[in-house]
Amino acid sequence: MNGRIIAFCCEHSAYPAADLAGKLGLHYPETLRIIRVPCAGRVDVIHMLRALEKGASAVLVLGCEDGACHHITGNIRARERVKHCDMLLREIGIDGRPVVMFNLSPNAPHKFVKAANEITKIIKESREAR
Amino acid sequence: MEARIGVFICNCGGGMKNIDFDAAGAKVAKIRGVTCVNLISDLCLEEGTEKMAARIRAENLDKVVVAGCSPQFKEHVFRNVLENAGLDGHLLCMANIREQCSWAHDGDVTEKAVDLVKMAVYKARLLRPVEKQDIAVDRKVLVVGGGFSAVASALRLSRVGLRPTVLEKEAVLGTSSEELQRFYGFDVSSMIGAAEGDANIEVLTSARMTAAKGAAGDFLVTIMREGEEISRKYGAIVFATGYRTELALDSGLGLPAENEAVSGPKIVSQEQLFDMLNDPFTDTKPRTIGFVFGFSDENSRFPTLATLNNALAAKKEWDSEIYVFCRDVEVDSEGVEKLYREARECGVVFLKCEALPRIAVDNGRIAIEAEDVFLGEDTVVACDLLVAEELLFPTEGTAALSSLLNIRLDSRGFYQDENVHLYPVASERKGVFFVGGCRGDLDMGRVLTDISSAVMSIDKLLSSGTITAEIERVKADPQKCVACLTCIRVCPHGAVQLGRVDGGKEIAVIADLACDACGICAAVCPAKAIDFQGYRDDQLLAQIEAIGES
Amino acid sequence: MDLENKCVLVVGSGISGIASALELGNAGLHVYLLEKEAAVGGHAASFCCKATDVCSGCSACVVRDKIKEAVLHPQVRLLTNSTIRKLSGELGDFRVEITQQPRYIDEERCIACGLCTEVCPTEPKAVYPPAAEATPFSYILDEGLCVRFKGEKCDLCRQSCPTKAIEFEVKAKEQELSVGAIIVATGFDVFDAREKGSLGYGRYPNVVTGLDLERTFSREGCLKRTPEGKEPQEIAFIQCVGSRDEGHGYCSHVCCKYAMKLAGLIKYQRPDTQVTIFYIDLQTAGKGFAQFYEEYKESIRFVRGVPVEILQNASGELEVKFEDISQGKVCRDTFDLVVLSVGISPGKGSWDLARILGINLADDGFFDIADPLNSNETSVDGIFLAGTCQGPRDIPDSIAHGIAAASEAIQVLGEFAGRRTGS
Repeated sequence: MNGRIIAFCCEHSAYPAADLAGKLGLHYPETLRIIRVPCAGRVDVIHMLRALEKGASAVLVLGCEDGACHHITGNIRARERVKHCDMLLREIGIDGRPVVMFNLSPNAPHKFVKAANEITKIIKESREAR
Repeated sequence: MEARIGVFICNCGGGMKNIDFDAAGAKVAKIRGVTCVNLISDLCLEEGTEKMAARIRAENLDKVVVAGCSPQFKEHVFRNVLENAGLDGHLLCMANIREQCSWAHDGDVTEKAVDLVKMAVYKARLLRPVEKQDIAVDRKVLVVGGGFSAVASALRLSRVGLRPTVLEKEAVLGTSSEELQRFYGFDVSSMIGAAEGDANIEVLTSARMTAAKGAAGDFLVTIMREGEEISRKYGAIVFATGYRTELALDSGLGLPAENEAVSGPKIVSQEQLFDMLNDPFTDTKPRTIGFVFGFSDENSRFPTLATLNNALAAKKEWDSEIYVFCRDVEVDSEGVEKLYREARECGVVFLKCEALPRIAVDNGRIAIEAEDVFLGEDTVVACDLLVAEELLFPTEGTAALSSLLNIRLDSRGFYQDENVHLYPVASERKGVFFVGGCRGDLDMGRVLTDISSAVMSIDKLLSSGTITAEIERVKADPQKCVACLTCIRVCPHGAVQLGRVDGGKEIAVIADLACDACGICAAVCPAKAIDFQGYRDDQLLAQIEAIGES
Repeated sequence: MDLENKCVLVVGSGISGIASALELGNAGLHVYLLEKEAAVGGHAASFCCKATDVCSGCSACVVRDKIKEAVLHPQVRLLTNSTIRKLSGELGDFRVEITQQPRYIDEERCIACGLCTEVCPTEPKAVYPPAAEATPFSYILDEGLCVRFKGEKCDLCRQSCPTKAIEFEVKAKEQELSVGAIIVATGFDVFDAREKGSLGYGRYPNVVTGLDLERTFSREGCLKRTPEGKEPQEIAFIQCVGSRDEGHGYCSHVCCKYAMKLAGLIKYQRPDTQVTIFYIDLQTAGKGFAQFYEEYKESIRFVRGVPVEILQNASGELEVKFEDISQGKVCRDTFDLVVLSVGISPGKGSWDLARILGINLADDGFFDIADPLNSNETSVDGIFLAGTCQGPRDIPDSIAHGIAAASEAIQVLGEFAGRRTGS
């Protein structure tokens, strides 16, 4: 999978935001692959690590805004896990393949596109740095 | 046995021009596990669904992948097709090649579309049906509290045919609802009479809830009443415990804390002033009255209303001079702006100040000193009566009760987390509701709509005695579960409890009615014992696998 | 009580109408959801998310969830482009005559493929997609632009439509509905800021309303540049435009909240922007809002008192004239953008609808209630009010009021059914 970004999208927020981005014709990198999840809190470290293992150049976890998670704490748990995963990657010396969490609401297509663009930029910069 | 997966690709009437459907179809046909590929235009319309159902039967398919528009709006259409063709709706997996592929990118995206279909096929292989069953629910409702909102809720619940229990910690109902009778003309005592005379309503006074187990439709509540423990089953629980007020005398007004330290002039609460106004035997007529409110607490809907009503009454009854010191007048309740105008027209003087007024006792009168923002200078008003600022607090025991049910409070300690998805009356636990002042600073109009909302939700949950629900969509594997309680601690909806299945060992049991299918438990389970149909670990990993192979 | 076959008409598909329809549908009743526009959702559907690093509690996303739930609800039948013509009958047995204007594109068959727009020969296109958030997401054929309605024989879009969704020969459809009860949820109209001529709305491009700003954020995700190409640096919000004045003797409940949240969003996106809010009394009550205010009260400049006049200078800047009460003199500050926090006004069609339904309007122009302690009940048995058509409300309050109206309707219908079977 050359340069794919795997985005775990909460079906209450990021998934509809991505749909809305499509409807508005807002473009984002084609390398993004969306996996729909019922809540960002469903995403576990193994999912993020497996994605990288299979060759993804980055992993995005996209959940609801702080304080607006349908499952109250799912987005907070997801952020902790993303942090943990990031720490694991640093410990074993893998850098340049970021695992990042963003928060957005279902009616924020621009924020979705921003997240996709931002992670692409991070990947590019770290590639250039090497 | 290898699954028979049928892929249905919809080109949306030819609207997705940047996908080469023939090429995509050919590539999809080569994906491992695909039995047949069907290119059907307008799949979501009747013509399309008929063809789809026919193909499912003809090819004897057992899993279906639909590639087309977003599942957000059409998933139910295709699920129905599966169900009509004799398959469980959960055996469907959709690939969003329109909104998230064709429309999101310029240029040819055939390759990405094939990728998305492949992800769906890999997931579809692992799909399993989810069974539906009728679950019995208890038609009794526990209403905690004994004030206006509790009694009114009980009466409404009784009217829709449910059986409420009113649980009051005091010896009689309605002890804290007097201000309502006053400002709104509600006859709370006749409502209490009606509730006590209603055969459907049980009233338990001097009683407290001491424990609660179970989930929506099936709560087991322990009640302590005069030293006696009672156990009851309830289908739902309503908190209607109201709020309490406290005079803000100690909070920086610079006054002697105790009223008796002041002999001549008086410092009173809104309630005391109301009593004075309505006391036929009193001949005190304060010449000047000062009101202070809205400095220590941003939530001052109720204090604003009380001030306006009392100020108007004092003007009419005693013809007193009235000065109101406040920062902002909270007029965002129905009719309050009119009341505010009326008060000004009657000669009530409003002094807006940014800082808390300084108060001193001077020569037998109370001197209120503040900088009025409009005059831009210090103003001193000497009054005979000061109506002090009142602060709103949650009733005592709110925190303890919330921890019994493991529900969150807001940042001020009132019931209900500040999460927009819970408004108006829901909690994060199904079957637990909040009405009235216990969830914040509400005016009467809002309290009444709260009651209606809660009764509607409870009626929907309990009225028929059973509810059809998907069962065991989220389930702990008895072989793997070691009862470590992690899932019980993290479940935001209180849906997981320890229990035995078929007399086996104790494991985590997920209440199907209370479960909101978020999968947080599945993610945290250290033993990976919890399966969540549709979002199982292997189903998520299969999609990653599919991307990895592309 | 057996309500299975009972029908209820909900007039207006804004957030309170949607909330009513959902509750009624969930209770097993049949619901006709009448909407005069082509898409459901009313004003609230176009509001933007105002989250910064945390949710600001604006509830715009809740509206989206509810709309989706309602249109997918099997018990709810949507009637768009429809208005009520006549009402007869009484509680339990109303007959409502409605007119459904033709939309030329069948919303059930339109799959939003976009082929019609491609072939449309007019410029601007006479057939075009609806707003991105519109539900149903069905294309719109504009009679005013379409050459066919000017007598030409153009047939290109109909030819191109793969699902045969386009039909020109449709006329306005009239039908009669039999319903047991009616819920009026016709919402509000935004105060027309042109009425306050001295504030320059409609004359100066950089004077916008709060609703305009909401829509900008919905569409663009951020502030637009001014027509002069400048990023707005100095922004003013003016509160109580069309509330708490002569003719609007009420507080609109929503303006302080949306203004502060939009101001917060602007500060979050571009912290160097200077934001000033001119106000009379800040309405900070409501769950979670006090903390929000606490957070922003340092970084936003709050000025007590609302300006009376705005003038545009030669360079396109706006000069706002206001009384600085701390100095006791009239000041002029310049801003790049002025946002008028326009209030909630009674719906313009309220008077006509009140006449058709036989219900009353209150002094302030909103629908009147029969019992001061029940804000859902009208003077006509079986007709209920929901949401901002009765008085100003924010989104959560409108939802609650909608649910309450549904609850009243169900109760009354149940009692009515009980009386009939009892007699």
